[in-house]
Amino acid sequence: MRDKKRSAVITGIGIICATGNTVGEFLASLKQGRRGIREITLFDCTGYPSTIAAQIAGYDPLDFFDKRELRRLSRVDQFVLIAAEEALVDADLALNPKDGAPIGVCLGAGAGGMLSAEIYHRQLLDGKRPRPSLLLPFVPSYATDRLAERYRLEGPRTTITTACSSSASSIAYGAELIRRGEADVMVCGGGEALSELTFGGFCSLKIMDPFPCRPFDARRQGLSLGEGAAVLILEEKERARGRGARIYGELLGYALGGEAFHITAPEETGREEARIMREALHDAGVEPHEVDYINAHGTGTILNDQVETLAINQVWGADASHLPISSTKSMIGHCLGAAGGLEAAATLLAMRHHVIPPTAGFEQGDEICDLDYVPQAREAEIEIALSNSFAFGGNCTALIFGKEGLQP
Amino acid sequence: MEAAVITGMGVISPVGIGKEEFWKGLIQGQNGCEEITQFDTASFRSKKAALAKGFNPKAFIPLMKIRRLDRASQFAIAATRMAMEDAGLTIGKDVSAERIGIILGSGFCGAVNAEAFHRGQVLRGPSDLNPILFPNTVPNAAASNASIELGIKGPNSTVVQSFCTAEAALLFAYQQLIAHKADAIITGGVDELSAILYRGWNALRLAAWDAGDGERSAPYDLKRNGFIPGEGAGIVILEREADALRRKARIYGKIRGLTAAGGAKHPGEKVARTIAGALKRGGMKTIDFIDGAGNSSPLLDAAEAEGLRLALPDRYRDIPLSSFKSMLGEGIASGGVRIAADLLILERGIIPPTITYAYPDPLCRLGVVQESLKAPIKTILHTGISLDGTYMAIILGRANGVS
Repeated sequence: MRDKKRSAVITGIGIICATGNTVGEFLASLKQGRRGIREITLFDCTGYPSTIAAQIAGYDPLDFFDKRELRRLSRVDQFVLIAAEEALVDADLALNPKDGAPIGVCLGAGAGGMLSAEIYHRQLLDGKRPRPSLLLPFVPSYATDRLAERYRLEGPRTTITTACSSSASSIAYGAELIRRGEADVMVCGGGEALSELTFGGFCSLKIMDPFPCRPFDARRQGLSLGEGAAVLILEEKERARGRGARIYGELLGYALGGEAFHITAPEETGREEARIMREALHDAGVEPHEVDYINAHGTGTILNDQVETLAINQVWGADASHLPISSTKSMIGHCLGAAGGLEAAATLLAMRHHVIPPTAGFEQGDEICDLDYVPQAREAEIEIALSNSFAFGGNCTALIFGKEGLQP
Repeated sequence: MEAAVITGMGVISPVGIGKEEFWKGLIQGQNGCEEITQFDTASFRSKKAALAKGFNPKAFIPLMKIRRLDRASQFAIAATRMAMEDAGLTIGKDVSAERIGIILGSGFCGAVNAEAFHRGQVLRGPSDLNPILFPNTVPNAAASNASIELGIKGPNSTVVQSFCTAEAALLFAYQQLIAHKADAIITGGVDELSAILYRGWNALRLAAWDAGDGERSAPYDLKRNGFIPGEGAGIVILEREADALRRKARIYGKIRGLTAAGGAKHPGEKVARTIAGALKRGGMKTIDFIDGAGNSSPLLDAAEAEGLRLALPDRYRDIPLSSFKSMLGEGIASGGVRIAADLLILERGIIPPTITYAYPDPLCRLGVVQESLKAPIKTILHTGISLDGTYMAIILGRANGVS
């Protein structure tokens, strides 16, 4: 089986989302339970059942890029590069952009490039002649390539496109490449930008809450979309220790499974989600009772939150009611292609700063959702945490993080 | 290191559906690139595409379900079914649902529905949206619909990596298999070509056009000026060698080397690096045949040729090389169909030709095969190269004991 000696730890994090443009701001917002869900200004929402999302407000790309660079960067590419810059500086890898570095890039992508393609498509339908380069970001690997290009990262490159679990899977795969000796350092995570297509799409499925989403709450009516990027630097553990890097935590295990059930709906008993969480725990060599916190997928749809709760009950049994579970989507919305990365970052920050982020706005559960969803941030020692990401197509990813030094 | 082998394949291609039709088309040098009649090309500079003609979803999918599935998902389901049958693998009998995974490269799967859904938003507004379209706008719809239809519950993922999309999926699948995350993994690539995608390739000036010598997919040819967009699905079953031997499966070939690199600068050197790395892993100094990535792009074919020269300086002109894209066109995930071709070459000992090769390019001085060639092939180098700097090299060899 795998060489247990090689393992991936996280040595750098970069964040941009509706509640913060840096890791520091994001952490502060998690502690305060601050919600970034507001009126959308990015496109016209007139006529839709909702007009809100966790849009990044007050964002001026010229604060980060010059005009020449911006010609080739769509909104999601910008977010990815902003988060990558912070993560690479944070990891202190001493990159010299003149020399190529044997670092791999594996990002998750959602529908981030859609915003740019929509502008093209709308102009086309209006009988205009749109600028062809608007189409480039439609290839999901575009942001991955821009990141690799900017820092001359010359290791293996992959872009994972499993909708809402993309960037969680990017961390799992990045870690596997490190475990197996294919790379020593991988840049993982992912980005998302709001778009008319995804907004209208979730409205068409009637799972968009007209109010800011309320995961696990009895009054929940659906999700709120969000946008942003999270970039995490994964590094081989001994290499990181050897250079005295700051280590946020270790990816102890993961599972990437398929429910084989339905293109949008989760298997309703929670059996498949439970199986995938168990597989991840098994991969990590962790018993359920050792888990101190779950960062839930918790989208705020009636079905998701119900099924996720049922699945947690199946794995943890009577212990489930003592287990803190929260959905950070209550603050940053559902960031689709960036969701798993942002949530992995929130989980690692929770571990490092001894604080469980809340399910902001949660007041009261219902007959099925009756666990501890942490309505306010709470101080706690977290040694092992699980982060769930579920997606269209039944693509489920569970990540298990452990505190550095937990395992020899 | 444990070895991974391929025990089944399913193919949907512009030259034939099913492995036998596909093989016949390849060795006969059938041209899959034709004038498009399926949609209007009047406003485009290019007129040809390599479409998978004669695909009948009813042969693979219950009638009631077809309506809800986009063409890419239909391709994925059909090719997966063919591959499972070819491998003699039955879920629930030979492998449990939880121990078989699916990791596919997605060539713009979902784009058709995305375009249709957004068109509705723009032309009809928010009140009349079609909820059936949206779920299949995601790139993973193809692999996930296949997992739902066939009951595949193991590792499930979809990747996109420019023109190396299927090769990147193979690497991911290989890593999952060797890490024992599953006992069998379905992998490869699916491409769906549509009017909107064709428009895109034209707008970006990447598609071939008639500049006086015909609109040709002409890999390594001096007068190449772009690729002919293609579609199809090439899906294979990956198993660990020991498992395949235990269940006495037919083994088409074995993965002997698989390497990836990135970097937009000095692409020839990067290509050479991946090839040298793959040869080293396979413990080889040379190779019997090169399945070239050549897609008729002026830049990429030259970079690939330079990489081959650097990696195999004494031999690069003597090793037979062919690019099947002369017949199949280019889809970003067409690596899957190419892998299927590679395995048939290992099994059957005939090299399919590069049918359009006419004007030698001094920048691509390679041993291009122009007529089908009988040759006992034991090892194949499959190269991958993309715009924006992703490079992959795969070495496939005959399985042990197969000579």
